[in-house]
Amino acid sequence: MSGQNIAFLVVLTLALGFFSYNIQRLVSYLRLGKSENRLDEPGRRTWNLLTIGFAQTKILRERGAGLSHASVFWGFLVLTAGTAEILLHGVWPAFSFERFLPRPIWQLFMLSQELFAVVVLVAVSWLLHRRLVAPPKRLQGKEIHGTEAVIILCVIASLMLTIYTTGALEYAADERVRATHFGWFRPISSLLGTMLSGLPGRILHPAYDISYWAHALLVLGFLNFLPYSKHLHVVSSLINVWFSNTSGPGQAGVMRAMDLDAEVEQFGASDVDHLTWKNLLDGYSCTECGRCTAACPANITGKPLSPRKIVVDTRRRLMEKAPLMAGELDVPGSAAALLAADGGATALGNVLLDNYITEDELWACTSCRACVTECPVSIDQLDIINELRRGLVLNEGRFPEEVQPTFESLETNASPWAFSPADRAQWSEGLNIPTYAEAFAEGKRPDILFWVGCMGSFDDRAKKITVAFARILQAAKIDFAILGQEETCHGDPARRLGNEYLYQMLAKGAIETLDRYEVKTIVTFCPHCFHQMGNEFPQLGGSYEVIHHSTYIERLLNANLIPLNTEHGKHLTMTYHDSCYLGRYNDVYSAPRETLKRALPVLTLVEPARTESRGLCCGAGGGRMFVDEKVGKRINLERTEELVATGADTIAVACPFCMTMMTDGVAKLGKDVAVLDISEVVAGQLAPVHAHTTARELVAGD
Amino acid sequence: MKIAVCIKRVADMGARFQIGADGASVSDAGIKYDISDFDEWAVEAALQQNEKHGGGEVTVISLGPVAAQETIRKALAMGADRGVHLQSDVIPFDGFAIAQALAAELKDGGYDLIFFGRIAVDSAAGVTGAMVAELLGLPCVTAVSKLDIAGGTGTAERQVEGGVETLAFPLPAVCTIDQGLVTQARYPSLKGIMAAKKKPMDSKPAQLGALSVTVRTMELPPERSAGRIVGEGAAAVPELIRLLQTEAKVL
Amino acid sequence: MANNILVIAETRGGDVRKVALEVVTAARVLADGLGGEVHAMVFGGAGIGSVAPRLGGAGADAVLVVEHDGLALYNAEAVAATVAAQVTAGGYRAVLFGASAMGQDLAPRIGARLRVGVAADVVAVSVDGTDIVVRHPMNTNKVIATMVLAATPALVSVRPGAVSVGTSAKAGAIQAVSPAMDPAAGRVKVTGVTMGGGAKLDLAEAPVIVSGGRGLKAAENFSLVEDLAAAFGNAAVGATRAVTDDGWRPHSDQIGQTGRQVSPDLYVAVGISGAIQHIAGMRNSKTIVAINKDKDAPIFKVADYGIVGDAFEIVPALTAAVKAAKAQH
Repeated sequence: MSGQNIAFLVVLTLALGFFSYNIQRLVSYLRLGKSENRLDEPGRRTWNLLTIGFAQTKILRERGAGLSHASVFWGFLVLTAGTAEILLHGVWPAFSFERFLPRPIWQLFMLSQELFAVVVLVAVSWLLHRRLVAPPKRLQGKEIHGTEAVIILCVIASLMLTIYTTGALEYAADERVRATHFGWFRPISSLLGTMLSGLPGRILHPAYDISYWAHALLVLGFLNFLPYSKHLHVVSSLINVWFSNTSGPGQAGVMRAMDLDAEVEQFGASDVDHLTWKNLLDGYSCTECGRCTAACPANITGKPLSPRKIVVDTRRRLMEKAPLMAGELDVPGSAAALLAADGGATALGNVLLDNYITEDELWACTSCRACVTECPVSIDQLDIINELRRGLVLNEGRFPEEVQPTFESLETNASPWAFSPADRAQWSEGLNIPTYAEAFAEGKRPDILFWVGCMGSFDDRAKKITVAFARILQAAKIDFAILGQEETCHGDPARRLGNEYLYQMLAKGAIETLDRYEVKTIVTFCPHCFHQMGNEFPQLGGSYEVIHHSTYIERLLNANLIPLNTEHGKHLTMTYHDSCYLGRYNDVYSAPRETLKRALPVLTLVEPARTESRGLCCGAGGGRMFVDEKVGKRINLERTEELVATGADTIAVACPFCMTMMTDGVAKLGKDVAVLDISEVVAGQLAPVHAHTTARELVAGD
Repeated sequence: MKIAVCIKRVADMGARFQIGADGASVSDAGIKYDISDFDEWAVEAALQQNEKHGGGEVTVISLGPVAAQETIRKALAMGADRGVHLQSDVIPFDGFAIAQALAAELKDGGYDLIFFGRIAVDSAAGVTGAMVAELLGLPCVTAVSKLDIAGGTGTAERQVEGGVETLAFPLPAVCTIDQGLVTQARYPSLKGIMAAKKKPMDSKPAQLGALSVTVRTMELPPERSAGRIVGEGAAAVPELIRLLQTEAKVL
Repeated sequence: MANNILVIAETRGGDVRKVALEVVTAARVLADGLGGEVHAMVFGGAGIGSVAPRLGGAGADAVLVVEHDGLALYNAEAVAATVAAQVTAGGYRAVLFGASAMGQDLAPRIGARLRVGVAADVVAVSVDGTDIVVRHPMNTNKVIATMVLAATPALVSVRPGAVSVGTSAKAGAIQAVSPAMDPAAGRVKVTGVTMGGGAKLDLAEAPVIVSGGRGLKAAENFSLVEDLAAAFGNAAVGATRAVTDDGWRPHSDQIGQTGRQVSPDLYVAVGISGAIQHIAGMRNSKTIVAINKDKDAPIFKVADYGIVGDAFEIVPALTAAVKAAKAQH
């Protein structure tokens, strides 16, 4: 073993040692977070890893940047094998994969190294250009580390270049090696080597050593830079994808269950140690690409929220707090010394909430899940926001003042709006719709519960949807009933607004009513009711089959149970606005569209620029319906403009909240565009015996 | 400061009321109850006073059925320190009978300030606070919409028709709190609700006085007639004016 | 004497307030029913006795004048002591007050001193045998209670505007009464009274609210709404959330779920479609008028009176008509 080999061994040991120290440190920081089991459903998790992680499916949602990143990623996967060889070679000069692999395989391996280095170089050049010359909006922002990104890209480029220079110098310097180790399978190194082969050995040999060391040091330097930078995602994101729940397992968008009877000092989160280790791992995995922020309706319209900042702040706060807690956590480094240092006490006094993330950011969230859907490494920004909202409301009673009437009304009236429960079923007067109480009194057990929802019960516009859907059910001769005055809010608005206590009170009450009437199947036209009762009630012991009316009507249409008058009519151009709680929360995209197409054969369905899983929120989700929108452009206006730009004469919705927001947006634009719920479109086409108003008349009547 | 706040459990005013079988009460079927708005503001005002001056204790007193303890708990969840429940199955309509019971409880409490809501939103009389002040021989300012306490004296503002009266008074004193003194009562956090469960609450029978005002009957006002479209365009204005003058009597 | 009725007649700036005459009228009903006299008691500074003829004109047999420089402003403690002494000495069957800021403050103090309850804020009084019977709207006017005051004296405060001033004039003979307590000895001092002048009516207190919505199309068109409010004279201006979020009006003007919850006597909704957000804040108004171009607008479902059409045409006409109606009174 030469002196150079010994020196390399020392450097390698130090570099790997320091890296593993840092990884150990970062892993120990995760222990600051609360425990949570993320080992369930390994099959599903591994599938996520393969698709989202290795196949880069979510990165590729954006074509240009996605392809560049995937190239670098796949390139690195391939090149890492070569890197291992190069590092071993430094300690043990005779080492080569050639010794273990059959020669054709080894040749292919060498070819892959050469070619993928080109792919990576091309991708990195494009990415550098994008960073430096034409940065998209999402790569701008206070919270992002732009210089760091440029350094990293330059390091990657240098790594690729030194692969070639090392190869070329080896080719030029050593004729013996040239004969055996070069050829068609190392085209670029060979080509470059040919150009250098005229140089004398006294230049070529040291130059080879320098190039080799440069490459090795860049690799080791890069490795050790990772734990200190946002490029930690290189290490953590695949792990993060495996542990993530945002694409399953579990139901998308379901808020964490919470045991309110637990004797705890802290409800929800105010600081990083109230989050789970997975939220903290999210922080490690964020590379600040900003796709979340670029998709965020609040951010797009000028509100203070940036989901990326939420995650970056979580990491920054963890990096500040965790070392101070080192004593307790058995982390290397002296917490006492850190505390004694300038700013140590301040750092200890800081909290994630207020010192990093402001209340206004949290309340700007519409819980639309666009950020979660876009994140290429399956970070759950919304989970952090939800936990912080809970922290605000449950610990401190802090929330926008205009929300208080909503909470109070939910308590007294079991509706977010202060309407008397006695008025809940006023819409059904004269429609001959039985309540469960009436049905039970006659010994009947209805097949289906039509859950009307608070909007459907009290909002005069939404009541028209209620009636339309009831007429469809009647036309299809469905055996259904309503709860009437016994229906109550299930508490979802309270839950989204952080008031878990009020939510559980209402949800448990609703479950009690449903169970008392032995309800099995529920249909509802409100996606919030649909999501809450179908996906979140099981946490509290309520298990029902809950079907959104879009899906239900589609089923009835497919079974030819709805007598439609589809023979004549004018040609309508319609656009459909996706509700977040139907689409991104529950993957219902085609049912409402298919329903519209079936109900109106003379229909052109046009799609807005942002649609389906990329659809823009109407602005009312996450309890925003009950919060004033004081900053920036109104989200509903942004969305309505986009929908109107399709040229549609009617906007179809499948959510009463969207209905309100779109109607207001159209009014603001002063456009003569009708906004209809899909059930109103269908009801308008009911065969004459039932029809009162057709969709066309509804359009014309406005 | 030691502050007492007298609060009342009242029906939610958003409800559709029905008259009870006796014809002289409001049926409580389907009715939810909560703290009277003005009393809630009074609790908030008391908490703010103590936060401003540091320390002190806020005692919440409520006369009513056992369920009034829930109302007291709510005030405790907001941040009050202890509760006193004066048990009475019915809350009479005679403010003086109630005032006597409250005065008996407040007499030896050593309170610097005693707050009431200006009125209870259900019975809408607004007499109890001033009566308690008289029974205890304390100075009293009613319908306070602005309050400053400093050095054992208070200055207050109260709305009178078309203007504002400014008053000065020595402590201890009784104030009835009007809308406007606080912008909004705080919403109890879950932490507050949990803490409230452990706060002390006495319950004792209310020493009501004899009744001099009694309810003979209760009735619902005539049903509001269904709305109607008066007409189209400016031509409908004269008819609207006529209806506002003769039917609605609001002009 | 035992069937006489004492009225505490409120004065301001040396003159009786209208509510005092209304209360005298209500007292007249009781006195006639019971066979007694109406004595109106006034408190004030020098020359306050000059109001006697007006009180007599409304039905006061006698006017008890308590004249003292210390009583120019309302002095709760001195007035309460004096009234209590008068009732104790005079043996009145009932004492009536206006349910004004002053009457609401005074009646319970006297009730406690005389150890009887108070029937507050009543809208009708009558005599049933020897009982005094009153009607009192409660539960935000959603329930009306009929109450009996068997004890003597019966203390009643009468809601301003509930009784029309009567015309059965009586002598109104002046009788001077001394304060039972030195007004200067009171512990609570009124240090000032600021009369409202041009102060903006608060939405919570305004008897009339005129509100504008998206239908007004632009911030500057709110002048239409302001003009109508000005024509009413006692109206405040409100707005929908869409309008306040767009910055056409300040957020403090917002009426609705996330704004103010109001219940005026008259609510005029101009260009407001009637989304639940807004309805939740104003549906308890006693009378609702809606003006909207869309006949299917949900606002018409809650409105008592609706006009379908262009607000830019209807509102100016309504403003003129309200001005004309007000001028007649």
